[in-house]
Amino acid sequence: MRRADAEDEPAVFRRVVLKNASPYHYMKVRLALEDESTRLSAVELKQFIVTGLSSLYGEVGAALTFDLLKYDEDTLTALLRVYSKGLVKLWSSLTLLGSYQNQDCAFRVLQVSPFLLALTGNSRELQLD
Amino acid sequence: MSVFMDLNVSFSAERSRMTKLIEAAAHLGFSTVAINYVFEPMAKKKLEIPMPTPVKELIDQLPVVQGRSRPIRVLNRLTVVMSDSSHFRPNATEYRGFDLLAVQPTTEKLFHAACMLYDVDIICISVTEKLPFFFKRAPVNGAMDRGVVFEVSYSAAIRDSTRRRYTIANAVSLMESCKGKNVILSSAAEKPLELRGPYDITNLGLLFGLSEGDAKEAVSSTCRSVVLHAESRKSASGIIYTMKTCSESSSQQEALAADLGEAPAAKRAKPHLTQ
Repeated sequence: MRRADAEDEPAVFRRVVLKNASPYHYMKVRLALEDESTRLSAVELKQFIVTGLSSLYGEVGAALTFDLLKYDEDTLTALLRVYSKGLVKLWSSLTLLGSYQNQDCAFRVLQVSPFLLALTGNSRELQLD
Repeated sequence: MSVFMDLNVSFSAERSRMTKLIEAAAHLGFSTVAINYVFEPMAKKKLEIPMPTPVKELIDQLPVVQGRSRPIRVLNRLTVVMSDSSHFRPNATEYRGFDLLAVQPTTEKLFHAACMLYDVDIICISVTEKLPFFFKRAPVNGAMDRGVVFEVSYSAAIRDSTRRRYTIANAVSLMESCKGKNVILSSAAEKPLELRGPYDITNLGLLFGLSEGDAKEAVSSTCRSVVLHAESRKSASGIIYTMKTCSESSSQQEALAADLGEAPAAKRAKPHLTQ
């Protein structure tokens, strides 16, 4: 654009409304185990989640694509990315996972959001006092 | 928005286990839990109806609910497993010690009676076996009109894969007949790791055939209406009275104890209904 035009036209206001802008959902989960000293590698965790998916939804469920974006072995906290269509399937299979290698376990879903940026803060853990 | 409640946490005599369970529930964001005492009358033996243990004896200090900076509320609940109509005695004085009253009918006839006649708050749907009967529209609608709710508990689905099948099958068949209204989802957890967060349960409700809005109501506002229904059940025509005392003891348990004493207007049995 030439400089002359830029001076003629004032600053442009443009309003863009996006519906369902993000194709993904991001989940922040923590694995709570009965024996807290157990450690899983990232591969074992993903394998465990896939087992949960296949036990609830069968082979079709196990084929659901999701990614383990970030994983902290010390706190067993993981960041998952899944297509929005598969969110309910992945979440419900995490909910119904009850045992890992013959010990009780539970996935605590800390946050779910379509935007990764939203996972930086957590409104549930705000100090209200 | 209404607060989240889990109206079924299994009672166990172990004090440390109850403490851990209540703490876990508070940490997950449940504002109210109900400790469930199961009473299963046998044909031969005569069993005593359990008495609720005072909450003070189960836990020293009530933990603060996550995100609300307020201590958790603990209720007592009795579940009567019925295989015969004589098992549930309306107006039994033993029932008055409990905040919530639930029945688990095992036959179609008893299910019909529980929906239409019995003065209870919750009707439990079995999750450990395939339902021996279908949910008919008439009793379900009758229960909805009277404000009685149906309960589906999910912890059996976490423990065992065959029970998971029964849970889902029974829940789906219930949701078809009640269209997602008057349903609560509760845990029936015995261990802290069997509890799930309220949003997880909402998501699980979608699996049971609830819509998104109904699933959220099943852990929040429907539970609230159950508690209110239970409060008005004890008194005549829904009149609730409270007594203000100036002592410094904790309000909740005192109110319950006062309620057991001399309540002025107790509900009388309606003879045409209870027969």
